[in-house]
Amino acid sequence: MSLTTNSTRRDFLKTAGAAFGVPYIITSAALGNSERPPASDRIVVGGIGIGNMGRGDQGAFLGRKDVQYVALSDVREEVREKSKAVVDKHYNNGDCQTYNDFRELLARTDLDAVHVATPDHWHSIMVIEACRNGKDVYCQKPETLTLREGPLMIAAARRYGRVVSGGSQRVLGDYRKYVDPAWAGEFGKIKSINVNVGPLPQLCNLPVEEMSEKIDWDLWLGPAPWAPYNSKRCSGSFSINGSSWRSFSDYSGGGMTDWGAHHFGGATFICDVRDLQPEEITYFDEAEGKYLAYRYPNGLVIYHNRPKTENMYIEGTPGEKLAPKAVPTYKGEGGIYGDFIECVKTREKPFRDIESAVNTAVLAHLGNIAYQLKRSLKWDAAKQEFVGDAEANRFVDRARREPWQI
Amino acid sequence: MLDTAFEALKKFDWGSDLAELAAIEDAAIAGHANPETREELENRLISALNGELTRDAQDYVCRKLAMVGTVASVPALAGLLVKKENSHLARFALERIPVAEAAQALREALSHVDGSLKVGIISSLGARRDSAAVATLGGLIGDRDPAIARSAALALGTIGNAESAQALTAAMRTSPINPQAIIDGLLSCAEAMLVSDQRAAASAIYKTLAADSHPRLVRLAATRGLLSCGSKQA
Repeated sequence: MSLTTNSTRRDFLKTAGAAFGVPYIITSAALGNSERPPASDRIVVGGIGIGNMGRGDQGAFLGRKDVQYVALSDVREEVREKSKAVVDKHYNNGDCQTYNDFRELLARTDLDAVHVATPDHWHSIMVIEACRNGKDVYCQKPETLTLREGPLMIAAARRYGRVVSGGSQRVLGDYRKYVDPAWAGEFGKIKSINVNVGPLPQLCNLPVEEMSEKIDWDLWLGPAPWAPYNSKRCSGSFSINGSSWRSFSDYSGGGMTDWGAHHFGGATFICDVRDLQPEEITYFDEAEGKYLAYRYPNGLVIYHNRPKTENMYIEGTPGEKLAPKAVPTYKGEGGIYGDFIECVKTREKPFRDIESAVNTAVLAHLGNIAYQLKRSLKWDAAKQEFVGDAEANRFVDRARREPWQI
Repeated sequence: MLDTAFEALKKFDWGSDLAELAAIEDAAIAGHANPETREELENRLISALNGELTRDAQDYVCRKLAMVGTVASVPALAGLLVKKENSHLARFALERIPVAEAAQALREALSHVDGSLKVGIISSLGARRDSAAVATLGGLIGDRDPAIARSAALALGTIGNAESAQALTAAMRTSPINPQAIIDGLLSCAEAMLVSDQRAAASAIYKTLAADSHPRLVRLAATRGLLSCGSKQA
């Protein structure tokens, strides 16, 4: 992969005329108008993984006047063709470039930002590689597959000064009825909150199936263990019960991470612990069911699947009222996508900055490990390791299939 | 139950019911509280791995050895590192088994493989932050295979000690095959040095990378690093 500079479309346009040395026609679209900024002021975006979630992300970016969507990558030929057609129709041209291999897209020097919506086992590699190539990144949730990936993604973002946003729009959008009173101090000190989400991921051992689509299977598997093609294995359906990659531990943390990104994200937002990670995970196996209690350094407990307890049930301090705090929100206009694009322009941290997104995913991963090992765990967030539990530490990461590396 | 599961393992293949192997999973979990159970399970898994199994079953065994394997598992796993079909899952276990012999097996396998398998083993040595591999990895930064050279540079960055930085700096002075990976490795080393309060060493790396000869992205990263060195100092 070539070493790329952080040249932007603006830099490119400044020098392109001189470099080519030939006259060219500047179209009205390039110059912009009262409703659309000139091309030199638009954020140039590409997309990686244009399946169910990627299509939605692509549509959101395409709909923005301050974005020029120019390239996409997907391992499915049909997806590439259909998706290119959507982009080209939107701009009324044939300019959108398509790539089977995301590395070719990331090597382009004219892209300011990319959105990533592949299965989860690809996220860390793509986000880190995008940062190395000077791109800002909007990464769909769940952002990580293992605990070790998070700190490496944060490090890459900070190292190269990149804006990296996680992808849950529900964290801010779905829980305002709890967030607003919580930040207004109306619950007093929050002692605990309950999150109901699942199920756990499962190992996949689906049978060999004849390939029914044009897909680069080796690239779809990427860093995951080799396995034969099966349409359910790589299905992007939202099933978390065995009919899509979201169900399987080689590609996803199951419902724990998939919906956990929203629910755990909402709970940590309500309780204002988005910057923290828990230090103790207590495993309960009782007649009424298995559940967890995550204890934070500030004393907060987040329960997971506490029996007979509704999702987002908050235990506050009756009679106490805390000083109100301003509720953080999106910058710019257009929800989470607008927040990301605005931050690309201003270099501020987005609402779902990668660090808080990773802290959310950590809850789900710690929970998956505690349930699998059927025991309580202690977590050292500073060292990113389990305390006094060498066996649990084996679950912090997993080897990636060659030649993939983070 | 465990006997039945190991019988099922002999015929296990794509499409087989994973529930047939549940007793093995249960034993792997129970091994935490009962060392004898763990040792017995490990021995049976090693024995199975040394026998006739499908690739799918071998993969399953390697996944379980990643949970319960000790030094006793290393020879069986090491033998798989050089096989195209098995190398990844062998690393799946060896990368996570916390004994020096596992790292040694990975280092020794380097001279017996090439191409992608070598890249995989290098990445596992990096993930283990194996300082004993630094000299070998330093040599591989100049490998004629760009994928191997890149992988070695990134692994050295992950290991992140003074010797890694030295090897990367030396490679940077010659004609680097993959400057992006070397630079990334150096920045990673500098960050590790900063965390361990080796400001002078970190600063030296950042100053080199802040030079005009480097792309803007790198110069900005180095400048941010230099500012961090300064703020740490203050």
